Amino acid sequence: MARAMRARMQPGETTDMETFTAIILSMVIPLVAMFASMALPKQDNLRDGITFVCAVATFAVVLVILSNVGGGSTAAVELIEVLPGVSLAFNVEPLGLMFALIASGLWILTHIYGVGYMRGNNEKNHARFFACFSAAISGVMGIAFSANMFTLFLFYEFLTVSTYPLVAHKGTPEAVSGARTYLSILMGTSIALLLTAVIWTYALTGTLDFTKGGIMQGKASGWIVPVLLGLYAFGIGKAALMPFHRWLPAAMVAPTPVSALLHAVAVVKAGVFTMLKVGVYIFGIDFLAETGASEWLMWLAAYSIIAASVVAMCQDNLKKRLAYSTVSQLSYITLGVALATDMGALGGGMHIAMHAMGKITLFMCAGSIYVAYHRTEVSQLSGLGRAMPITFAAFCIGAISIIGLPPMGGSWSKFLLMVGAVDAGQQLMIVVLMASSLLNVAYLMPIVAKGFFMAGDDKVPTGFAEAPLFCWLPPAITAFGCLVLFVFAGEIQTFLAGMVN
Amino acid sequence: MIDVLPPFTLYLLGALLLPFLPKGHVRGLLTIVVPVVGAWWIWSAPEGLHGQMTWMGLEMVWMRVDKLAVVFGLVFSLAAFLAALYAWHLRDTVQQVATLLYAGSAIGAVFAGDLVTLFLFWEGTAIASVFLIWARRTEGAYATGMRYLVIQISSGVILLGGLVLQYHDTGSIAFEAMTLGSLGTWAIFLSFGIKCAFPLLHDWLQDAYPAATVTGTVVLSAFTTKLAVYALARGFPGTEILIYIGAVMALFPFVYALIENDLRRVMVYSLNIQLGYMVVGVGIGTELALNGAAAHAFTGILYKALLFMGLGAVLFRTGTAKASELGGLYKTMPVTMVLCVIGAASISAFPLFSGFISKSLILSAAAHEHHNIVWAMLLAASAGALIHTGIKIPYFAFFGADSGKRPKEAPAHMLLAMGLTAALCIGLGVFPSVLYDMLPYEVDYDVYTTTHVITQLQLLLFSALGFALLMKAGIFPMPQRSVTLSSDWTYRKAGPAVVWYVGLAVRASWRGTSGLIAKLYADFIKAMHASAGPDGARAANWPTGAMVMNIAILLGIVLVVIFVS
Amino acid sequence: MAQFKDDPEKLPWLGRKLMLFDDKKNVDRLVYGLYALCALLFLADFFYKKKYYISAENFPGFYALYGFFACVVLVLCAKVLRRFLMRDEGFYAPQDTESEDHPDHDLGKESHYD
Repeated sequence: MARAMRARMQPGETTDMETFTAIILSMVIPLVAMFASMALPKQDNLRDGITFVCAVATFAVVLVILSNVGGGSTAAVELIEVLPGVSLAFNVEPLGLMFALIASGLWILTHIYGVGYMRGNNEKNHARFFACFSAAISGVMGIAFSANMFTLFLFYEFLTVSTYPLVAHKGTPEAVSGARTYLSILMGTSIALLLTAVIWTYALTGTLDFTKGGIMQGKASGWIVPVLLGLYAFGIGKAALMPFHRWLPAAMVAPTPVSALLHAVAVVKAGVFTMLKVGVYIFGIDFLAETGASEWLMWLAAYSIIAASVVAMCQDNLKKRLAYSTVSQLSYITLGVALATDMGALGGGMHIAMHAMGKITLFMCAGSIYVAYHRTEVSQLSGLGRAMPITFAAFCIGAISIIGLPPMGGSWSKFLLMVGAVDAGQQLMIVVLMASSLLNVAYLMPIVAKGFFMAGDDKVPTGFAEAPLFCWLPPAITAFGCLVLFVFAGEIQTFLAGMVN
Repeated sequence: MIDVLPPFTLYLLGALLLPFLPKGHVRGLLTIVVPVVGAWWIWSAPEGLHGQMTWMGLEMVWMRVDKLAVVFGLVFSLAAFLAALYAWHLRDTVQQVATLLYAGSAIGAVFAGDLVTLFLFWEGTAIASVFLIWARRTEGAYATGMRYLVIQISSGVILLGGLVLQYHDTGSIAFEAMTLGSLGTWAIFLSFGIKCAFPLLHDWLQDAYPAATVTGTVVLSAFTTKLAVYALARGFPGTEILIYIGAVMALFPFVYALIENDLRRVMVYSLNIQLGYMVVGVGIGTELALNGAAAHAFTGILYKALLFMGLGAVLFRTGTAKASELGGLYKTMPVTMVLCVIGAASISAFPLFSGFISKSLILSAAAHEHHNIVWAMLLAASAGALIHTGIKIPYFAFFGADSGKRPKEAPAHMLLAMGLTAALCIGLGVFPSVLYDMLPYEVDYDVYTTTHVITQLQLLLFSALGFALLMKAGIFPMPQRSVTLSSDWTYRKAGPAVVWYVGLAVRASWRGTSGLIAKLYADFIKAMHASAGPDGARAANWPTGAMVMNIAILLGIVLVVIFVS
Repeated sequence: MAQFKDDPEKLPWLGRKLMLFDDKKNVDRLVYGLYALCALLFLADFFYKKKYYISAENFPGFYALYGFFACVVLVLCAKVLRRFLMRDEGFYAPQDTESEDHPDHDLGKESHYD
């Protein structure tokens, strides 16, 4: 991070060759992993080894970008111009770089975990699974480095398609129907609403480039702004804003590594990332604040935060509970955009990192419990903490981060969001965030408390009997990551500051 | 830069190290050594601001050393030490780690120089302490712990909201004396009030503390509430509303303390009452009153701990702390009994015991400022304290009707911890200047005047006389197995019931509307099927001529439209 | 309520000494002692010069009377209110520890007559 800040560049500076190559590589290397996975359906160790190497390489490439660009932005590099002002183009800016760092870094851990999970759980079709997984990461990298809305849209759709087989992986009727919901909502909203919004934006402004301060100033006014924002907000189905959130719990039929990386980090974060990009670089925070166009979105996000938490409280299925929790937490980020203040946007951006680290921990723990004891319901977890102390301790730490309590990362993003809310003069949003914390306590802490302190049934071993190493080590690492993020939140904030002013 | 490490780091290190030590006495020793070293650390820290850093644009101060902070820091260390000694037999890693983190967070909060640091430790106490309740490992303790946690966390998030508002209003996060007025200051005040168990915000205290383990309750009794008193003394000294809040707090739990059956819960009500005195002291806000609040917190922590330890020992040996199940233990647990009586004498503020030297400061401060009604309420509460704690606790636990229980004397380490605490209670009572010299302001107060000693003895012994006569007349309410309704009924019974019925109504209406929509939709599909399906009129074999006719009509319409436009 | 004679041999030293309260007469003596002390303290008010801040304090025996009546009134209040506030021990069960036994893992039960 220190180096990143030193090497800060001014916006508008050209992208040097090395950085450009790195951007392309970050998308190509996961594709290499995908083809390798498809080509080696039988050689398990070789295939998973290659993917691991690719994951590390992708992360390394993103680190190269970080060291070259730091917290600055680079000019877009166009590959193909489709229409005047619309091209396939990439650039680096802080938010996207952070997103790429998180996704590629956590991919390494999730891959290790995925290998442990798929083998420990005797799942079938490993090759297809890991191939699709790698393809999805490639899509995520594309989203992260998109220089305009058109490019982002393409990768956004690519991500939807590549994750569909992962959701349907088990092939059971339940999985197929879940995957159908997944595809229909994500595809439907993106084509019907997001595409309309993109075309409308192009018609209004003649460009789709992500520009600091936005491109709408002077081009749109009156009722058009909130309507267009609405098309974006609902069109970005991956942000799971109510009422287009049903795909997320439906996607929980997927194997847990998918839920962990994709439906807690990559896919959903691609959604809120797009939301932030649209808010910050298409509309512009100041423009949104001037027009007040996002106020309705703020209320909807607030509703989504509370309602999803309440629903989460009523879920007995652990993964469903976590999914609704994600719906609620994603709306924090939408709320950050809708507040239309710098602090809100920064808080939203930071929450991408904080929530990613916390939620992936929770999901991996849920998966470990499933691998070790085949338990999926919260009511079956009593006493398991004694047998799986590492998993449950990691869960506890992740939960504290999600709730937003010190000493975990989640407390800072919540703090910034609150500051953003006050800056916007929306004191009620503070109350919403407070209430959400309490609801989070109410649906997450019982799992910890029951696991550690309640007596289990007779099938729960009394001694130490953890999940396989590959299953408990990654969540332990990400739990530690939640602590690290607490300490380095200041650096993240400085890093992201380049996104606003 | 950090020049003086906050003592919290020591507790944190201890907590991290503990699980890697061999089980048994080594761990116990660690929990004892950490507070001792911590106390020395606090004692030797130079006054002033240490550990200042800028963090996300916030000016944070990890360690502000002044007399007010030091006196609380020292008594917290002392409490942690005594509790660790009392828990020497404990072999539960979770409780040991939680105790260290809890005490460390409380001490960290005391030295916090800004609101953000305060918030971090404020939540730290909430999270760490709940494990002491859950460690009882029963369903009731689990549910109680959840209630406790939600309320504690709510205090924390309200503090966070308040500090954000305050930051926005003033541009500073410094933790200094505030004046109530803005939304932010009220939020901070409310947050402190929850932890301080203000009337109607107090039920978590009585609910949770007796649900902890034998040793857990001793630990819990020392920190959270006194931290809140400290925070009020730091943030809102001289805030008038506190005087009235405190006076109510000191008086109304009397009724509950008197009719409560669980003696550890009686003690918690009594704790609540003592907090009332401190809150009055903070509210009066003169030097004498603030000294009184700090001194009363200091002595209060000790004699409360002593009584909780004594009752804990009884619970440890008999399995119950209920007045209705106890009685007649004085012959088999005589040492515990004597130590408990010392604690009872201290809390009742008998001369030569610690409560006397601190409670007097607050009562005098109230009298000096001519808060006559408040003074009268506090005086009545003093008389009441003798009844519901000073007499009720030892009487029903050790004397009273013989329960037939003949438990062994408490283990040696418990007796040692209690003995040390009792010695401190008497020592401070006999040599008040030891405590007075530590107080935030210069003390110019002679506690042992003839007037004061005689009037205090009159008050106490005539209350005792009242008790004796009421007992003789058979009017005094005897303990019964029961629970007592309080405002927590609203969220334990009424609230869930309302939510349940609202939930039912919402579900029914949701099912109704969605069923209706589904039916309408199905009807629509059926109608479409009937008209356009394979058996429908539109699917029938129409003659070609009719088709040509239709097309011709259509073309005609198009022609007309083109012609017209 | 089991009433049985204690075996002095099995009691600790202090416990043996305290057996004198097994005799009701000694308890009564204690109560008489209290009456005597109270009377003395009340009289004491007439033999020194009181320092006071609130005029009521100067009334002879103010503290004594105030303590006595405050305590009696408060106890009577409690007695009345108990009728309305008392509920069965299992009122909040099972979300409450009141109706549970304290778990043995947290205890060290030992009796003198084991």
